[in-house]
This record gives sequence, C-alpha cells and structure tokens, in this order.
Amino acid sequence: MFLIKARNLKKNYGVREIVKGINFSITQGEVLAVIGPNGSGKSTTLEMLVGLRKKDGGEVNYWIQNYKEQIGMQLQSVPFFPGLTALENIRLFAAFYKIYLHKQIAEELLQKCGLLESSNTEATRLSGGQQKRLAIATAMVHNPKLIFLDEPTAALDPLSRQEIHQLILRLYEEGKTVVLTSHDMDEVKKLATRILMISNGEIIAEGSPEQLCNENQVHNLDELYLKLISRKAMVSC
Amino acid sequence: MLNVIFKSMLITSIRDKITLFYSLMFPLILMLGLGLYFDSPDMKLNIVSGVTAISTIFWGMQGIAFQVHFQRNKGVYKLLKLTPMPTISFICVMTAARTVIGLVLNMIVWIIGMVFLKFDLTLTNILITSLLIAVGLLSFTAIGFFIANLANNEGQINMFSNLLQLPMIFMSEAFYKLNSAPNWVVATGKLLPFEHYVKALKGAINGMDDALLLGFLIPLLYMVIAILLSVLTFRWEANGTTIKSRKKLSA
Repeated sequence: MFLIKARNLKKNYGVREIVKGINFSITQGEVLAVIGPNGSGKSTTLEMLVGLRKKDGGEVNYWIQNYKEQIGMQLQSVPFFPGLTALENIRLFAAFYKIYLHKQIAEELLQKCGLLESSNTEATRLSGGQQKRLAIATAMVHNPKLIFLDEPTAALDPLSRQEIHQLILRLYEEGKTVVLTSHDMDEVKKLATRILMISNGEIIAEGSPEQLCNENQVHNLDELYLKLISRKAMVSC
Repeated sequence: MLNVIFKSMLITSIRDKITLFYSLMFPLILMLGLGLYFDSPDMKLNIVSGVTAISTIFWGMQGIAFQVHFQRNKGVYKLLKLTPMPTISFICVMTAARTVIGLVLNMIVWIIGMVFLKFDLTLTNILITSLLIAVGLLSFTAIGFFIANLANNEGQINMFSNLLQLPMIFMSEAFYKLNSAPNWVVATGKLLPFEHYVKALKGAINGMDDALLLGFLIPLLYMVIAILLSVLTFRWEANGTTIKSRKKLSA
C-alpha cells in the first residue's frame, strides 16, 4: 500500500532548481533511506512531503486527507521549547496534535526512547544524542503511521548512534513506515529496506540495498555511493 | 488541549526568573522613587497610573516580542507547522498566558503603589483596574507578537518597539498635561491605545467613570487588529536561515 506518491515534484530557490521533477512513492511498512551529497535536495524533498515547504511544481498524493495527523518528523535542528523539560515538551507537542497525553503515557514514550531518567531535565540541556531521541519521541507523540527522520544520527557518538538505530528498528518491527536521510552507509545498510539516491535534485538510483549493489556490480553501499555520485558528477560536467 | 498549551506557555515565561524580577523591580523602584519626591495628589495619581501603564506596555510588547523571536530562532515554530494546530489558536493562547503573568506582576506594582501613595483601595477599584490591566496587556501583547513577526533580530525588535512605545507614552497624559502641546500631538495620542488606557487607570482610582469605556474599547480594538496582523504575518522560521542563504548560494 502506498502512503505517499510524488509526481514531478519540483522546488526552486531563486534561479536554482533544488528538486528537478522527481517521481517516487513511499510504501507502508518500509524503511526508506534517502541518500545523496549535501545540498542534493534530500531535506527539501522531505520538507515538501510533510508540508513544511511549498512545492513549485508537481503533485503529492497522500493515503489520507488529514495527513498531518498521521505523519511525524524529526528535523535536523532538533528544536524544543526553551524552559520546558523533556516531559513537558512531549506533552506540549501532543497537545498541538489535539491529544491529551497522560503523564504515564508520556513517560512510557520517553522510556521507549531511553529518556525516562531525563524526563525532568530541561530539553535544551540534554546531550546531543538525547536531544535527537527526544526529537524522535516528539515525532511519535501522536502515534503516526509514517515517520520522517532527517539525519537522525548526524554528529553523534557511536553509542548514541547505536541507541537510535535500535529505536528505528523497533519502529520498523512495530509496523511503522520510516523515511530517513543519512550520509552513513553502514547505517543505511543496517536499517533500510529500500534506498532512494538523490544527486543534484534528481533521483539517480532506487531499490533495495542488495538489488542496487548487484545491478551496479559493487560490494557495498559505500562503493555504490561513490560510483553513482561520481558518475553523475561526470555527466553533469 | 488548549489548557496544556496554555500551561506550557505559562511555564516557559515563569521559568525566566530574571525577566520576571526586573519586570517587577523596575516599575516598583520607579514608582516608589518618584513617590518620595512628589506630594501633590494629581502627581501621585499620575505616578501610580503612569508607572503601571508603562509596566504594562513594556511587559506586553517587548516581553513577548523577544520570547517569540527566541522561540522562532530555536526552530520550534517549524515543528509547530507540522501539526494541525491553527496559528491563531497558538497566538491567542500565548498572548493569554503572557497576559496572566503580566496581570499578576502589574497588580502587585499597582497595589504597592496605591498603598505607598496612600490611595484608597476598594474592591471596586481593584476589580476595575485588574480588568483594565488585563485588557491593556492583551492589547500590547498582541502588538508585541506582531512586532516579533516584523523584526528579523533583537535590534529590530527594540527599534519597532520604541517606534510604537515612545509616541504612545510621550503623546499621552500619563505624567503631564498636554494643554500646551500642538494639536496634532494631542490628536495622535488619542488615536493610540496607551492614552485611553492610562486615562482609564486614573479613572478607576478617582472615580471618573467616563474614561473607562474608551479605556476598555480602544485597547480591545487594537488587540483584534494586532492578532489578525500577527496571524497574517506569522513566520515559521527565522529569516536568513534557509531560503535566503540558498538564494545567495544560487546567485
């Protein structure tokens, strides 16, 4: 079942085309990794899908009309309301979704994300890894079907990365659909059931990690990434 | 759900203890300091009403403008945009929360001023003044929200606030009569909410009820206009973060 179908999706910033009419879909129950170089249009694409940015062309079809109530997103910048604890932030964001999150349920959510002990710490004082996990918890307050994670492990230490990987795998096992962006190919290999590779605003590869490696005759995703991105760069030149 | 949001907005303001301290201490020191040097009943009335009104306008306008700017810079409004929460509800709840805290602060200032300057405290003038302060706070806070949407940085918040606050204060009869002022100054002052607000505060103390109606109506009118403008100009992101910088990149 398709959750989102994007057709000819476009975005320009000034004269520069950031997303150049891409077509793709997101299927229920998958972990889709959107990969590509910095500035290739990954985050912009995700932000258009969740309604944070207006698209300049194309169309996006959602499986339901009130899609905002069924989509959660962790942003790269992990923002929280200053002065509020982790628990208070969680309950506040739930209220934005018109949900009264009982303290016990909020604590269960924090426990799921390994943050129960930090529930009364001011969110902005948490460590980088804890803030990322809190941002993921915030994206899950309304129990969405589809969760977007924009570079969930960027700039984190290996232990924090491991904790977030476990959290994502748990979401997958629960049947959630996860779309994530990443520059870490080991992470992509570990988590993704499908890959969407974007370069210079265009999709240059799409498929499961094994399928893409076989088709391109490479041994791993690092090699695949370097091969496809450098090929694309040469074509662009 | 609005009560959870309201409570959270109260907490974010209450935990900023430094701002709370100065918002209370500055008008108190000003009122008590001026009160020591002036004996005339008219001047004492000006002091208690004028300082309370200034406290209201500062807490209302600049307080929320800086808070909204700070939250926007932190990126929380971007997350808010992901939710089905209507912008107008958020603006109204935040304005109401700031108003509640401001009401407590300003009533403390006013009551201490009334006692120190030996005015009679009656249940009627306490009730009327608290209602007036609530309306004044709603009005100036809504204007402050609009300022936060216009300003791109702290400097611009100060600039826009001063641009509105200074004419409001100096073109009013908060501390002096405008009998010898040019007509256009008096006329401009009457177009602004502060003049009516401060007159109504005085009216609540000296029993001149004719000033009360405009003291309620004009600030309420400004509140409605400011909230509408705040909704229309609400920005989810700080300026220069994404779109502008990417435009520069493409140039």
